[in-house]
Amino acid sequence: MELREMIMELASRTGPSGFECRAAERARELLEPFADEISTDVLGNLIAVRRCGEANAPLVLLDAHMDEVGLIVTGYEGGFLRFSNIGGVDARILPAAEVLLLTADGPLRGVIDVMPPHVLTAEEKEKPLPIDKLFIDAGFTDEETASKRVPRGTAVSYAAPCFAMGENLLCGKSLDDRSCAAVLIRAMQLLSGRKLAVDVAVNLAAQEEVGGRGAVVGTYALAPEYALAVDVSFAREPGSPADKTFKIDCGALIGVGPAATRSVSDRLIALAEKKGIPFEIEVLGGYSGTDGDDILVSRSGVATGVVSLPLRYMHTPAEVIDLRSAEAVAELIAAWVVSFGEED
Amino acid sequence: MLDTVKKLCALPGVSGWEDEVRDRILEQAMPHADEIGTDALGNLYIFKKGALTPAKPLMVCAHMDEVGLIVTNIDEDGYLRFDFVGGVDRRVVLGKRVFIGPDAVPGVVGLKAIHLTDAEERSSVPKTESLRVDIGAENAEAAKKKVRPGDRGVFDNTVYEFGDGFLKAKALDDRIGCAAMLKLLERDLPADTWFVFTVQEEVGCRGAAVAAERVKPGFALVLETTTAADIAGTEKGREVCFLGKGPVIPFMDKGTIYPRAVYERCTAAADRCSVPWQTKSWISGGTDASAIQRRGEGAAVLTVSVPLRSIHSPASVGCIKDIEALPVLAEKILEEMAREN
Repeated sequence: MELREMIMELASRTGPSGFECRAAERARELLEPFADEISTDVLGNLIAVRRCGEANAPLVLLDAHMDEVGLIVTGYEGGFLRFSNIGGVDARILPAAEVLLLTADGPLRGVIDVMPPHVLTAEEKEKPLPIDKLFIDAGFTDEETASKRVPRGTAVSYAAPCFAMGENLLCGKSLDDRSCAAVLIRAMQLLSGRKLAVDVAVNLAAQEEVGGRGAVVGTYALAPEYALAVDVSFAREPGSPADKTFKIDCGALIGVGPAATRSVSDRLIALAEKKGIPFEIEVLGGYSGTDGDDILVSRSGVATGVVSLPLRYMHTPAEVIDLRSAEAVAELIAAWVVSFGEED
Repeated sequence: MLDTVKKLCALPGVSGWEDEVRDRILEQAMPHADEIGTDALGNLYIFKKGALTPAKPLMVCAHMDEVGLIVTNIDEDGYLRFDFVGGVDRRVVLGKRVFIGPDAVPGVVGLKAIHLTDAEERSSVPKTESLRVDIGAENAEAAKKKVRPGDRGVFDNTVYEFGDGFLKAKALDDRIGCAAMLKLLERDLPADTWFVFTVQEEVGCRGAAVAAERVKPGFALVLETTTAADIAGTEKGREVCFLGKGPVIPFMDKGTIYPRAVYERCTAAADRCSVPWQTKSWISGGTDASAIQRRGEGAAVLTVSVPLRSIHSPASVGCIKDIEALPVLAEKILEEMAREN
């Protein structure tokens, strides 16, 4: 399957942190052809391993997170649903947003109603409404029905389609980090049939948006020697500072700094240069803000690189990525895995 | 009726660009029309004979246009600057999909990554001037191949039913009124009636004003939608009206004081009807009635509106029972007003 299609399919699935199963289900089908072993752990990580056949071969971990930011139902006000956020949601995108209520009986539609101007004070009109003043309208007229159909603790995702914008861009919800989940599957596709000197594990990790929880447990279980955390980073967008953002079509972002192991970063840069894969260096401060932060210090330490895909409007239902950059990330990852057989 | 509402809502029709809506309505109205007309602004007139021919005809109207965006300029980096057409609360467009221009080029109104914002930014709503539509164009040149200043932007056009009998769509204001008129056109009428599908209501009832001049009605009935604030968090008494309690017959809104005698006769007729109705508990909004009432020699007017939550947003919500009740009530009111006319 083409990368474009894989990204669109995975981004169309729901998977707020802790509720990744719908996305994982599809990812599993896509990963299966490239894996010798595939499993889901207690946190919801989807872990696929491809063995190279050599005994005691080093294990290389490729991590991208499966979860997305979302909402969760916390209570009722008549037939309306109160909610809280899962992960970093800017409440300013919520008025008139359309959502899916992920009930045990399947997804239900809902919308977040907007208070009309006449019920707001002049001051309120200029201010975003905080989450505790917003409610999901799921079309129920009383609390009894609402609480029965949508129990407390029901996860909520944006109901936003993934669609093409021009030739090379895709727009949708949860491209953070489903686009990179698809990129990892694409990398496994590129590696398919190639002889490798390492075992490769892919962890499509749960619960990154609430603090790398899936990565902590998944990395512990796998005990890799090397790892790449593959996540999205900031693409240039209206209003954002140019020095903290990258052109969306610039290719792969290779993280450099204490949050990434220097030898891994150096090799990634050398490979990108050698293979002519477009890239930019992303300087990471103390933390990369990705699963890499947890992978790096797993057990007695893992040599960890951070590779990122530039993305606009992060954590909104309208995230945007460039397919050319996504392909570059996949090529770089594949080249890095292959390089373990080619070294010195 | 519901099916017509859904089909009409999916069409783009920002004020001044109502063509696709008009074409679809004309197609459906044609078999019932005794006379058809348009005018310079783009109103669609359908005349249908009724049992009586009063000195002054009856008029029923609903507006075809919807609120939306208009491209004002294209930035060097390919992003589109825009303004709103009609009253749009800018908070509802952040992070939403829009379709631009006659080719329906998809784009989004982006909001910068939460990680790059500070607390002050997050507690203010970005000004319209700072918002952009991203159509994925690499630069101005690429953007200009797809869109141009003046192109309209419409909200996402997905339409669906949800919950216990509710409908979500953009442009329910006022495709519901248009659909109700199409339903009325199928019926035998009590008197000769001009059905006017108006343009540019959202930018000052311009279509209705010139239509009133042309039709010179004795009585005009406006079929509309209106703001309901019956949502959680609204202070009691400010709800205006409630979804599920039937169409709204206001005695007054921000544009019109409805003639009391007409209001009383029509609400009495509504009481005899099989469907419920309600009035507004808050003076807000305005309709084509304001223009019709005060054009030419003036006319008696009444508005009947379906209550909507999140009106003028990509996700307006109506109650299907209320929507289906609109033509039922409208027919009763026309019968009542035909007797005198």
